[in-house]
Amino acid sequence: MEPEAFADLLRQSGDKAYNFAYRLAGNEQDARDLVQEAFARALGHIGSYDPSRAFGSWLLRILHNIFLDGTRRLAHRRTVSLDAPAPVEDASWEDILPAKDMSAADELIRCESIDMIQLALERLPPHYKAAVVLCDVEGMSYDDIARIMKAPVGTIRSRIHQGRLLARKAYEELERSGGIRQ
Amino acid sequence: MTAHVDGPELSAYLDGALAPEPRARIVLHMSSCADCRAELDSLRHLKLALSSAPRKRMPADLALALERRFASGARPWYAPLTKPMIWAPAGALTVAVTAVSLWLRFAATLDEIPLEPLLAAHARYSAEALVHEDNLVASNYLDQLNDLPDASESEIQ
Repeated sequence: MEPEAFADLLRQSGDKAYNFAYRLAGNEQDARDLVQEAFARALGHIGSYDPSRAFGSWLLRILHNIFLDGTRRLAHRRTVSLDAPAPVEDASWEDILPAKDMSAADELIRCESIDMIQLALERLPPHYKAAVVLCDVEGMSYDDIARIMKAPVGTIRSRIHQGRLLARKAYEELERSGGIRQ
Repeated sequence: MTAHVDGPELSAYLDGALAPEPRARIVLHMSSCADCRAELDSLRHLKLALSSAPRKRMPADLALALERRFASGARPWYAPLTKPMIWAPAGALTVAVTAVSLWLRFAATLDEIPLEPLLAAHARYSAEALVHEDNLVASNYLDQLNDLPDASESEIQ
């Protein structure tokens, strides 16, 4: 690949990849590492890239896999399932689903701190977090998300919804505990 | 009133990811269900909050570093990401397995070679090669040596 072609790919996909990485990782250093390794792997396996698909989506898929690999290693240490909605402590699905308290959700749009949203996102299990970020932050379609996460559209639909409910619950808990200044 | 809208279907409705038929069914249901309308509003607010978070842009120094590494030439810039700590033990194991298998094969071959004929042949050729001491004196061959043609200088050189 010519350097000019690589520079084009970087311009087209760099910001999107970095934003996705940042939302997944929650900090700049991990986001940089994720992006660097994603580009490295993409170019190392450029032969398996299907040019009829968007390079950006392919790159996000690689980045997502790297993120999951790292999360799995941590999960093994902590014995936490990737799909387990564990981060919201003491919350059953009955607590989460009915959305009894709308005020916290309403607060989100006039939230004084974007960091609260990021913190709520960070509490999600990896699969839910990736689905919500790709849908609500990156604005991608369910079909594209399914390709990136290598899962059926029905599974993606479920992860997006449950991820939103968990994010809402996490936000409410952050509010109750004094937010990010706790 | 019909049952409440299934949660994932409500999210899909919010995201515009439903086919016309289920979408129409949900619209009809929500016209008479305040709970589902409230839940949809809550999800919409959450989606708006998430999507309005400022987007992070790739730091310029990172983009520059990636470009430089790519352009740096001979050695692939992603080479450092390969993990020698994984390949070194694998290589050592491969070498060890190859050496042991070669040794086993060689040892088996040695066992299969019959030594007796080899020893007999060695003894026979050794006996035939014996030369009497008189025949080792050069002066006995002067006639034959004198008959030899002179070597040219070029041949000597």
